[in-house]
Amino acid sequence: MKTQTSAIIPLIHRVSKMRNRVLYDYIVVVFLMLFVVMLSFFFFSGQSLRLDEAQSLWQTSHTPERILEIVAQDVHVPLYHMLLHFWQLIFGNDVVFGRAFSMIFFALSIPSMYMLGKEIYGRGIGLFTAILVAVSPFLNWYGNEIRMYSLLTFFVILNQYFFLRIYRRPFKGAWLLWGLTAVLGFYTHYFFWFVIISQSIYFFLHRSLFPHRSFRKFTGYVVVFVLAFAPWAYYVYSLGGAENSRPLLQMPTTINLFNTFSQFMFGFQGDKLNTILVSLWPLAVLLAVLAIQKNKRMAPETLYCLISLLVPITLVFVVSILVQPFFVTRYLIITVPALYLVLGWILYTYPKILRRIVQVGLLVIMLSGVAVQAVGEDVPVKENYREASAYLERRASPQDIVILSAPFTIYPFEYYYAGSADVNTLPIWNRNAVGPIPPFSSEKLPIEVEKLRARHQVAWLLLSYDQGYEADVKLYFDTHFHRLDQQNFSPGLNLYAYKLRYDNPDVEALINAHASAGSSTETGEISPSESSTE
Amino acid sequence: MRDNNSHIDKIFGRANEAPRLLLVINAVMALLYLYALVFWFSKGELYLYWILIVGQVFHTWQVLSFIYTIWDTGYTASGNRTHTPPADVFITVCGEPAEIVEETIRAALAMNYPYFTVYVLNDGFVAGKENWRQIEALAKSLGVVCITRRKPGGAKAGNINHALNHTSNPFVVLFDADHIPQTNFLREVMYYFSDEKVGFVQTPQYYRNHKLNYVTAGAWEQQHLFYGPILKGKNRMNAVSMCGTNMAIRREALLEVGGMCDTNIAEDFVTGLFIHEHGWKSVYVPKLLTRGLAPFDFLSYYKQQYRWARGSLEILFKFNPFFKRTLTWAQKIQYLASASYYLSGLIVFIYAIVPLVFLFTGLVPFTTSTMGLALVFLPYIFLTLYSLQTVSNYTYTFRALAFSIGAFPIHLKALGAVLLGLRSSFEVTSKRALQGNFIHLVTPHLVYIILVIIGIVVALFREGMTPSFSTNLAWSLFNIATFLPFIRAVVPHLALRTRPLAEDETVPEIVK
Repeated sequence: MKTQTSAIIPLIHRVSKMRNRVLYDYIVVVFLMLFVVMLSFFFFSGQSLRLDEAQSLWQTSHTPERILEIVAQDVHVPLYHMLLHFWQLIFGNDVVFGRAFSMIFFALSIPSMYMLGKEIYGRGIGLFTAILVAVSPFLNWYGNEIRMYSLLTFFVILNQYFFLRIYRRPFKGAWLLWGLTAVLGFYTHYFFWFVIISQSIYFFLHRSLFPHRSFRKFTGYVVVFVLAFAPWAYYVYSLGGAENSRPLLQMPTTINLFNTFSQFMFGFQGDKLNTILVSLWPLAVLLAVLAIQKNKRMAPETLYCLISLLVPITLVFVVSILVQPFFVTRYLIITVPALYLVLGWILYTYPKILRRIVQVGLLVIMLSGVAVQAVGEDVPVKENYREASAYLERRASPQDIVILSAPFTIYPFEYYYAGSADVNTLPIWNRNAVGPIPPFSSEKLPIEVEKLRARHQVAWLLLSYDQGYEADVKLYFDTHFHRLDQQNFSPGLNLYAYKLRYDNPDVEALINAHASAGSSTETGEISPSESSTE
Repeated sequence: MRDNNSHIDKIFGRANEAPRLLLVINAVMALLYLYALVFWFSKGELYLYWILIVGQVFHTWQVLSFIYTIWDTGYTASGNRTHTPPADVFITVCGEPAEIVEETIRAALAMNYPYFTVYVLNDGFVAGKENWRQIEALAKSLGVVCITRRKPGGAKAGNINHALNHTSNPFVVLFDADHIPQTNFLREVMYYFSDEKVGFVQTPQYYRNHKLNYVTAGAWEQQHLFYGPILKGKNRMNAVSMCGTNMAIRREALLEVGGMCDTNIAEDFVTGLFIHEHGWKSVYVPKLLTRGLAPFDFLSYYKQQYRWARGSLEILFKFNPFFKRTLTWAQKIQYLASASYYLSGLIVFIYAIVPLVFLFTGLVPFTTSTMGLALVFLPYIFLTLYSLQTVSNYTYTFRALAFSIGAFPIHLKALGAVLLGLRSSFEVTSKRALQGNFIHLVTPHLVYIILVIIGIVVALFREGMTPSFSTNLAWSLFNIATFLPFIRAVVPHLALRTRPLAEDETVPEIVK
């Protein structure tokens, strides 16, 4: 009896410790989910609508059939848009609710990441990578954006989890769930195909790890993927070419490549800070050297993570240089889970004290990045169309015209603008007509400006998302009209006011007042009382 | 043996795990990186540029020769297991504590082998050691012959050569005073001499006190690569390095080259070269057959490293294998690779100085965007590190790498001594823990840290937080981080015993 008791007590203690550990993990994960929700509520959800978000809201405000057409022409896939459409039918098209939809999947990515990390490396790395997801400036940004990226990340993590479960701890539905998440992934973003490419490479390198007859099953599923995607591919093909309604992409350079990693880790920082962060790249060598520890061999799953991280980025980079630029950091969000897993693994090879120091240091830096993104004014990806619209509501009169360039920036502007001035674009774009945005032509510019000028008094030129002709447009206005005002609302979002007509004495007096006061036209404003109310 | 057998097996037993494709890619990346440095990147300050290029050329040579060496580590020599020729077992003693010598003698006597005679080669008298009589008495009490040299000269080599004149068996087995042989040592080693062309057979060194403290652990971890994949690779090319202990030599081969070389401080390495030069073959037996002692303290470690560096570098300048006509090309490359390893100190120094020069002067070796350099360098270095891990079967450590890098002042000192023709005396590695403040031995590292701190201030004032500043700051921090383990080893309370001793570990006698 005594022997039994003495055996039972340690067992109970062990089980209790295990239960406590599991409970501890759950508490941490739930806390992290609450953390990101609170972060969203207090900081991110209230930010101005961004261009891409405005596009999402506009696209999904149509009928499902029209949504499919718009999305296909926009070189995207429709799952997110369809889900958002029905979400808006229930909750409305307010920015806050739109972002809440993305937040759901971002929050769910945290326990998913914990599961994935725990599956590969154990609960320690599982927890750490879940924390990385929660404090990631990059993922927080896109977790609060009315776009498909948090949904994409969620599917990527789940898909990778089920893929590894196929051979690590197989269960009956592993293949099916892998296939299902893959199809959902394809219909969330085209780049999900790179996840499958990476998995294919890993599968062929380590086929021996997978169960018997896996090759047949794997290739069978890939065929199913192709077949499942074929209807959409055919639909896109039948519509013809994609509209030119997206920002023009430039050929990537090594700077873009390293900025991608920097953004994955530290989020969107100002140019100067980002340059400094990227220039500290030799520290990555130190991180790697410190990981040379006894018996810390690289498991096949680490190789899988490296493949999932490097193959998509390398392929996209190379193809962007050789064929057509499509290197966009946010599209490569599919590699972020793998990056965090590799990082988690590397840090776990370190001796305990060093590991803790580096982990804490990294988390502090990432949290700082989140803070900067949340409240900083100079965050490169911030687009303050709300403030620009509010400014114009106060300043622009019904006799004025607001001209937006690039044309697609009309979406976020119109979401907020409730003023009385006319709104148009340069190049002039009829959104109701079928077809892409007209390309810029320097020959047509004077004609279009003259058309826009019409009987308006002041042109409020709102420039953002330079498509390569922003300087030409500004130069034309600067050399043909008198500039009255200039404002900057966020990086790359600038407003210039130009006098279009000289037959209005009130406005002329105002100009003279400005000239004699010697007030700088860089910061000068036209007050409402001074503007003409003809 | 209390050590983890699977760990030992990884170091000595198994062929390395590095896939050949990985090694090929690593080699290509090394060449590509060098090519990029020379032809793609814009030159900055010319003298800095050329210094860096020279350093990278040497580093590329190291990578390529290393890959060449470990390309195949699965080769094993063959021999007739029934061949059991008689051997004279020499235990070289020069002032080591009697208790350590006794353990070795007893183990030697216990070897399971039909024909061998144990001799204690007592150099205590000529070296002025106090316990030479004690050693004589010990030998007598254990029934072994003690050959006490009366005429000095040649240090350990001279001791062995002297004993050759007083012994007669056709084979000689060498053990340092602290290297305890296992009972099966002779059975595992001697049968290779059934091949009449075999001149010597070498087995690995193992430090039984490697878990004792930071210094012993670092010293042991440094040996993993050499006694593991490197010697196994040299084995297939008939270019095994003679290590002076835990080995057997054919007397005929040894006498043919005039005995152990007593004009070089690394007498074993040079003698091995001579034996190869005379057409004899070498064999490496990657089995743990002895247990020795690592240097207990930093000063002893420092002296040991200096001796090896000095002796090996002398080969480059006095016995350059490149010009030895009777050596095969494989052997030439192997000896050059081993000897030139100790030029690493110069290269480490160069790499450490370049960011320092920038911090103080703003001068750079390249004017190319730092990102461009990173794009080529990072894949190359990550691959090299991964190759190192797989080649060593994941036994190599950051500490070992840091010790190798941190030893740069020792290598520079040795290089200077060789170039200036300074005499260096052979000093037996202490088998006792020396106590004292050895911080002066890491003065170069501490000076470097101070210079970096000052340089940061100077650079910030000069140009602020620019990309160049950030990159060079990062490199400086990298260098400091790799020097820290070396510095730590010198700090007594951090370096000396950090955990309880295991059963088979002896408490080192502290000597002030």
